[in-house]
Amino acid sequence: MNRIRKITGVLIVLLLLHLSAGAQNFVGKNIRIGLFSSTPLEDIRAVSDQGNAVLIAKTREIVVQLNVKTLEFDRKLMQEHFNENYIESDKYPNAKFKGMIDQSIDFTKDGDYAVTVTGILSVHGIDKKRTIPGKVTINNGIVQISTEFKVACIDHDIKIPKLVFTKIAEFITIKTEGKLNPLK
Amino acid sequence: MNKIKYLLIPFSFFTLYAQAQEADSLLKALDSGRVESTVDAAFKSTHVVLSNSSETQKKHDLDLRIRHHFGDIGGRFGSAHTLYGLDVATDLFIGLDYGVTDDFTVAVGRSKQDELFNFSGKYKLLKQKTGGSMPINMTLFAQLGWIARSPFSDNEFAQYSDRFSYFFQSIISRKFSSRLSLEVMPGFLVRNNIEDSRDSKNIFSVGFAGRMKITKRLSFIADYTVVNGLSRPENLTTAYYNPFGVGLEIETGGHIFSLNFMNSEYIVENNFIPNTKKSWSRGGVRFGFTISRNFTLFKSKNQDPDKKSKIY
Repeated sequence: MNRIRKITGVLIVLLLLHLSAGAQNFVGKNIRIGLFSSTPLEDIRAVSDQGNAVLIAKTREIVVQLNVKTLEFDRKLMQEHFNENYIESDKYPNAKFKGMIDQSIDFTKDGDYAVTVTGILSVHGIDKKRTIPGKVTINNGIVQISTEFKVACIDHDIKIPKLVFTKIAEFITIKTEGKLNPLK
Repeated sequence: MNKIKYLLIPFSFFTLYAQAQEADSLLKALDSGRVESTVDAAFKSTHVVLSNSSETQKKHDLDLRIRHHFGDIGGRFGSAHTLYGLDVATDLFIGLDYGVTDDFTVAVGRSKQDELFNFSGKYKLLKQKTGGSMPINMTLFAQLGWIARSPFSDNEFAQYSDRFSYFFQSIISRKFSSRLSLEVMPGFLVRNNIEDSRDSKNIFSVGFAGRMKITKRLSFIADYTVVNGLSRPENLTTAYYNPFGVGLEIETGGHIFSLNFMNSEYIVENNFIPNTKKSWSRGGVRFGFTISRNFTLFKSKNQDPDKKSKIY
């Protein structure tokens, strides 16, 4: 009888551990992701507020995903060309970064952390291993992430025709920021 | 005791499994709340070869469109004497299409044939959705034609209203893949000026059109309009043919060029639907081209600095 009690106790502890691990997940639904292309002839910007992010505190795993069609340009025709001719959002609807935070972070304490995240960046159906610098801020149990990095079009097989070569940068700056709330 | 052991093992497996799957399944859960997005750009342009496509202009974009139809390549009016029709222009057209909103376009144009001015409105009523809740696009199109030329005979245009024609069309399209889009266009034309006295003033038509992308910026386009044999009388003294055009469409970011071959002499629906008198089989095919240049008149009034583009 005693043994059974012990084992039930273990089970309960395990269950609690599992639940507490669950409580250490953070999700964000309105991550702001923007792109910026700059050449001497033309600056192009687009932004979306519809990025999704998931952070598993226990494993320090972080995933950020964007439906690229939600990126808005101030010129709609440019937006159409971006979707049709460059990023091919019909075929590759999502851009995604999935990686592991290289530094250890205590998610229960408030603070700023400069981090690097190593993982796979998938854009236009092509995966690239990247280490991306960023900032993690913890405030009252809410995790704020921000990062800025460059993506080479050629790395993801995005071809820029010669005719518009002077208007579209070879390296596109991607800016991401947003809040992740603890998942209850 | 043993029973509990058996319970413990799957339980621990379950927790491990849950850990590994968490990130992706959480992401999926986040994604599931999203609304379906529309399937955009069934066609690159507001026109296919002769006919309209289901596309409308983007808001505040102005499209300047110049179109040319040359003379017959073969037959009596073609051959080397007219440089295979290039000496002749059966119709010339210049027009402007303006997007009042993303779904509503107004247009004005002028053709050489009949000195026809056309005024049209085009409204995108239904939009194809990615999830399948709406499988088609549907665009409504209405066009007024006004013949501005002086009458050929005293009794032509006896009443001023004889100069007007009215064309209504509903354009139903579907983008089957990023490569292939097809459309069908039932239409109805009301006109007062008829060339053949036995012809009817009201004409039904059904158009079919398609776009097949060869590369990202180069497409094969075609359209065919059935006019004869529907509601039209059959015992006409003039032989009329169904307009059929094929072409290559080249898009270069803001410009669209298309190089076409078609049997129809005329450019605007109010002319080419009732009055195509040339046939593909009798050398009546001609070369034609379209140049379209898009201008963004007013950039959207967004003050969001992250969205601002700038041309130096």
